[in-house]
Amino acid sequence: MSSAFCPVKRERLLRMAENIIETNGLTRNYGDICALKPLDLQIPEGEWLSVMGHSGSGKSTLMNLVGGLDRPSAGSLQVGGKDLLALNEDGLARFRREFVGIIFQQHHLVPYLTAVENVMMAQYFHSVPDEAEARHALERVGLGHRLKNRPGELSGGEQQRVCIARAIINSPKLLLGDEPTGNLDHKSTVMVMELLKELRAEERFTVVMVTHNQEVAGWGDRTIYLDDGVLVREERMR
Amino acid sequence: MLFRILKNSFLKRPKSVFLVFLSIAMGAAVATAFLGIAGEISHKMALELRSYGANILLEPSAVEGGGFLREEDLPKIKTVFWKYNITGFTPYLFGITEFSAGGKKERGVIAGTWFAKQLEVPGEEASVQGIKGIAPWWEVQGRWPENADEAIIGAALAKRLKIVPGGEVSALLKGRSQNFHVAGVVTTGGYEEEQLFAPLVTVQSLLQQQGKVSRVQVSALTVPMDDFGKKDPATMTKDEYEKWYCTAYVTSVAKNVEEVMAGSRAKPIWQIASAEGALLKKLNSVMLFLTILALGASAASVSTSLMASMAERSPEIALMKAVGADRFQISSIFIGETLIISVAGGIIGYLLGNQLAQVISRSVFNSTIASPLWLFPTAIISALVVAIAGSIAPLRRALLVEPVRVLKG
Repeated sequence: MSSAFCPVKRERLLRMAENIIETNGLTRNYGDICALKPLDLQIPEGEWLSVMGHSGSGKSTLMNLVGGLDRPSAGSLQVGGKDLLALNEDGLARFRREFVGIIFQQHHLVPYLTAVENVMMAQYFHSVPDEAEARHALERVGLGHRLKNRPGELSGGEQQRVCIARAIINSPKLLLGDEPTGNLDHKSTVMVMELLKELRAEERFTVVMVTHNQEVAGWGDRTIYLDDGVLVREERMR
Repeated sequence: MLFRILKNSFLKRPKSVFLVFLSIAMGAAVATAFLGIAGEISHKMALELRSYGANILLEPSAVEGGGFLREEDLPKIKTVFWKYNITGFTPYLFGITEFSAGGKKERGVIAGTWFAKQLEVPGEEASVQGIKGIAPWWEVQGRWPENADEAIIGAALAKRLKIVPGGEVSALLKGRSQNFHVAGVVTTGGYEEEQLFAPLVTVQSLLQQQGKVSRVQVSALTVPMDDFGKKDPATMTKDEYEKWYCTAYVTSVAKNVEEVMAGSRAKPIWQIASAEGALLKKLNSVMLFLTILALGASAASVSTSLMASMAERSPEIALMKAVGADRFQISSIFIGETLIISVAGGIIGYLLGNQLAQVISRSVFNSTIASPLWLFPTAIISALVVAIAGSIAPLRRALLVEPVRVLKG
């Protein structure tokens, strides 16, 4: 029997095609502290998953692991068909630039670069910077008039939108948000979430968003709740 | 994009960029100055060392010479391949005579020589040759002889004959006699204090050896002897011999002079030549050591400044890593920054170093130096070496930045 017809392998392949993220017994320890206890999680391609929990519940740890920013202590982790445990440091960097877009709570923009240059920086690490494309990305997030401003000259909401433009510029399959609205007021939060919803509809990327905010979590398709590194509850929104 | 990152990075952090630039420029300046004057110092020191006496002695060859060299061959010394390295020479004709002065008599050595002879050689620049040039440490009480019947007398001989400057002494040999007016009494600290020095032509006449000299002392600028210079030319290949002949070893200059003086045998005065060689070698080693030390200090300073800068920039590095920069891309940004600063530092260091070399040369040797062409690339390379050496530890630190830890919260 050829391996292509092996029912076990075929089922696994089909499952992998459906799920962009699959974890089995995914664990992360920091010394004696277990930040994430063995976790089995599947995230289908195109889903918007919200991850909720108290501080220290393991939300950011999970996000860092699926984004290739950190390495698990045990278990397996497949993202987009890639076994992240098998990648070396440069392999993980390549994975991040080709596959992942990240939105940080603190924006983390390079202070001495303008808005458009911050977006172009992500293009530069990915392939070739294209200023017209970077401008277009900023126009899509409503910052066509702030292209030449540096982060210090932008409001928190505007900085977050630059961060979103940077995250989507390389057409990632997976968008990670680590409390992206944590520092924003309600109006800016709604604006950012609507923007993400529109972009997701256009780009069809999968979203994994860590948040404290129940309202923000409600924008997703499904919410999982972590407590002390353990998945304690799961809720489907639609 | 890289250019934009580098440009904005420089403009945003002028202080730390300036500190790194300053460290590199200072290192390059010191290297330029030291290396620039090292060659010149060797030359100047070699010139200074020439005042310690001749380093080549020409004597009649036992086989051909018949005991004397020909005075008419002496001008040829200024026509040889290494003529510009020959800073002076003087001939001697020795004889034993009986000196008498004030009723005292004593047998002693009379030396005919040139004191300061104007030498005209067709096709060459006129020069002054003689004892005054190659033995500047001789102390003459009175004055140097100016006429054919004037002489200077060694201090020990003068004391025994009770002669003072302005006195008279006569030299008697085989019934021939020559009276000398003693122009001065010479103190050398050596065997010369037992002799009477008179113009060569007068002594030739007294000794009946017209046109002949006993030996010639030559003072030449040479390079320190190394293992190759010490090899026996007779055992060298053609290429080796050519290289040896075209290097100003004391042996090759001696050989060069020997070739134009018929019936002569030239030999280095080793105690002088080797002392000079050792001194020049040590001097060059000290200069090289100081240069390396200065470059090392600059590299350490660059490293410290960059380390501080890296600590300040770790969020930026973490962000770059988070958005997908690999080690090569991170390295290229920081190496690019360092290269730009080091080239600028190298150029400024070269200009400063040149000025520093001029100041050192003027204050130590009272002369200016010409900046050799190779010094510019040397300054740039020194700056790059400093920059690279100083960047290794900070770059390693940058590559170890963990985005998860730095971007937390």
